[in-house]
Amino acid sequence: MTPLEYTIDNLPEGLTEGPQWLSDKRRQLRLSFNDKPLPRRGAHLWRYTDPGKFVPNSSATAPVTASPSLAQIESELFGLLEKKHLAAVVVDKCGQTATIRMSDELGKAGVVILPLEKAAQSHTPLVEPHLYQLINSEFGKFEALNGALWQSGVFVYIPDKTTISLPIHLVRDAGTAASQVFPRLLIVAGKNAEATIIDEYTGGPSDISSGAGMSHGAVELFAGADSRVRYLCLQRQAGGMNSYLTCRARIDSGAQMVTIPLALGANLSKQNFGVILNGKGADSRIFGLAFGSQYQQFDNHTLHHHAAGSTTSNIDFKVVLADKATSAYTGLIRIDHSAKGCQAYQENRNLLLNPGTRAETIPELEILNEDVSCTHGATVGPIDPMQVFYLQCRGIDYDTAERLIVAGFLEKTLQIVPGDLRERVSSLIRTRLEAM
Amino acid sequence: MAQEIDGQKHDLSRLNEDYASKYCFRDPVDYFKGAKGLDHEAVAMISKMKKEPVWMSDLRHEALDIFLSRPMPTWGNTELLKEIDFADIYYFMKSTDSTKGNWDDVPEYIKKTFDRLGIPDAEKNFLGGVSAQYESEVVYHSMKEDLTKQGIIFLDMDSGLKQYPEIVQKYFGSVIPSTDNKFAALNTSVWSGGSFIYVPPGVNVTVPLQAYFRINAENMGQFERTLIIADKGSRVHYIEGCTAPVYSTHSLHSAVVELVAMEGSYIRYTTIQNWARNIYNLVTKRATAHKNATVEWVDGNLGSRLTMKYPCIQLVGEGARGEILSVAFAGQDQHQDAGAKVIHAAPNTTSRITSKSISKDNGRASYRGMAKIHKNAVNSKISVECDALLIGEHARSDTYPTMEIDNDQVSVEHEARVSKVAEEQLFYLQSRGLTEDGARLLIVNGFMEPFTKELPLEYAVELNRLIQLEMEGSIG
Repeated sequence: MTPLEYTIDNLPEGLTEGPQWLSDKRRQLRLSFNDKPLPRRGAHLWRYTDPGKFVPNSSATAPVTASPSLAQIESELFGLLEKKHLAAVVVDKCGQTATIRMSDELGKAGVVILPLEKAAQSHTPLVEPHLYQLINSEFGKFEALNGALWQSGVFVYIPDKTTISLPIHLVRDAGTAASQVFPRLLIVAGKNAEATIIDEYTGGPSDISSGAGMSHGAVELFAGADSRVRYLCLQRQAGGMNSYLTCRARIDSGAQMVTIPLALGANLSKQNFGVILNGKGADSRIFGLAFGSQYQQFDNHTLHHHAAGSTTSNIDFKVVLADKATSAYTGLIRIDHSAKGCQAYQENRNLLLNPGTRAETIPELEILNEDVSCTHGATVGPIDPMQVFYLQCRGIDYDTAERLIVAGFLEKTLQIVPGDLRERVSSLIRTRLEAM
Repeated sequence: MAQEIDGQKHDLSRLNEDYASKYCFRDPVDYFKGAKGLDHEAVAMISKMKKEPVWMSDLRHEALDIFLSRPMPTWGNTELLKEIDFADIYYFMKSTDSTKGNWDDVPEYIKKTFDRLGIPDAEKNFLGGVSAQYESEVVYHSMKEDLTKQGIIFLDMDSGLKQYPEIVQKYFGSVIPSTDNKFAALNTSVWSGGSFIYVPPGVNVTVPLQAYFRINAENMGQFERTLIIADKGSRVHYIEGCTAPVYSTHSLHSAVVELVAMEGSYIRYTTIQNWARNIYNLVTKRATAHKNATVEWVDGNLGSRLTMKYPCIQLVGEGARGEILSVAFAGQDQHQDAGAKVIHAAPNTTSRITSKSISKDNGRASYRGMAKIHKNAVNSKISVECDALLIGEHARSDTYPTMEIDNDQVSVEHEARVSKVAEEQLFYLQSRGLTEDGARLLIVNGFMEPFTKELPLEYAVELNRLIQLEMEGSIG
């Protein structure tokens, strides 16, 4: 069977666990995955990426060996939990059952963090109305794939009027071999709740010489009225991964949501972050960052869908490319006919550090009513030679000047990264820049 | 000021009254019509009627195969595109026997049509040549003597092919081959009429060259083909404008316009498109700019039911410059899917795209663009600016720009804004005694100004009036 004809013949053992409604849904999604044609190359959102790169390899198995650095990250995170720098830690080793640890205060506050299949059983009234609501077979073939095959899903629930000031940190490790993982995350934040969730994707083979590893992720997030949710997605998988992630959030009236997609790793990374502003006064901000070097390929999408009036949104998506890295960014702002009095802004800046890099930017607007104020801007260009000259005049050598300017370019986004993670992300980027 | 605006309004209401007689008339005309529908037989008939050389006939048949084999576009307004019935269209019509060289020889009923469009007046004033297209073929053609003396060729495309077959063969389809898209293939297979212009090296055409187009029969497609070649160091400005009577069923207009700007030359191509509200206007326009050449598209889209038009400039020579200035007005039931494309394929090339759109009532205006910089096009610059104004709660505006940048020594900027007429601006003008209508009109005219000021005076006046007409009763 060629990869392009891949079908799921039967759901693997173990995935039929959980309540009946869940296994019914999985079966249904399995069928729609098999029925749906592969996205046509060149179709909207598939103009710059070959859909074939995300077709799972039928012979590949779930990974068994965790990536070598995972143990270190794990102990580091557990340390931070001890020191009360984090509220909870979830470590998912290669799609096997996740280790979940959380502070006592969280349990007392009624916060639920559970493996998704368990939560589907024990917290059905919370899970059933939300799971597959935003990401289902209608979304696309690969979304149906995750819907059918997800393993070690995680469910996070923040009750009404509960403020969790410390971040909840999840690590999803893809192991070392050229295998495939299907992580899924469901976050439900109640009315007037507040939480910060860090979702970190790691692991995978270090290069594509023995075939690419594959990761098909899905994140659904529901933010209740007047809630405040920060969701940070750090994708720093190894260079042999083809990484596909779809994230959809629906936020109710008065809710504030900040999404921070940070794409640093993988061989090919296609990510889709969308927020549906579903109630009056909802506000969404996306601060994205993609940093690519060598032959890395990024294909990022953002969506702000204003489905209710008097909502505001803001996107700032920054891309830095070096060596032969390429990036495509497609951002859509959609304002429905009924959504009066909306304000939306979108900005995409691309910094190309050397010849051979390639950046595509497609900021799209679909405005269906007149009572809006909507703007977007996009730029692509090299480092401003005048800035380098200025720094050189002050005795700074070229390489350092370049690093300083890139750091400055990314500073605004990094400022929003919470606490301990900020230093880790900054040093990841610094190391990459110094290696160039 | 307020009085002046109200005076204009008064003037406008009269404009509205004679709109029907001015733009919606139809004269009884004896036509030669081919059969409806399109096949190799029909194409052979067109070619035979025109007594064309074999290579052109072959090109038509080849293009027809391409047209038939290509699917309809899967993007854009596919709902509207689906409604086109290619079998129900006349692909060739001829209303007079030969191309006329003198205004007096033009048949009376056709003259009447053009009189109402004001061609003779325009000519009297300062226009160089008139190439008036009535139905599928150019029936009237005049050329001022000084143009001929300078060696400028300004003919309809059919005559161009007869008189200068070697130039036509060299450039025809060189910028837009039949394989480019389905509608370019359609045009190549059934083209008829259009303009053919050649400007010799170093010649500056000081007056704009101008042609009027009209469609005047139901279910008739108009497939004109224009080719403009500006040789080294020459300058030319061509104006294309059109109005059409209102029809009861859909009509298709699918033109192809090719511009070749040789080293150091300058071409400006101005269009004011005001097709009737039932016409599909699916046009392919592209220019190739060689070393240090400049090409400017000035493109106004007011009419039609659906327009899909993305003027393109390929900057293939070092130092070439391109500019695209476009305005779209989408009123009731209209979809203006317009945009611009620039392809930078040489170093030190610059381009600027300015797009303005107004969506009113349930009209939809889309900007669809492409800005591409190839690997070798170092030190290139692109600046794109899109402004959209929404009037009425059912109006819709879309922006789909695409920027593909394959090298790092460039500067690319894109900006877009979508908003309604600002309350503060209205309030400011009203507090100075303008009526709300007057204030809104003033703001809309101001919004369009960067475009109107690029037009020759009589066009600017016409455009302002058309917009005023469109804007009437926009409150409530």
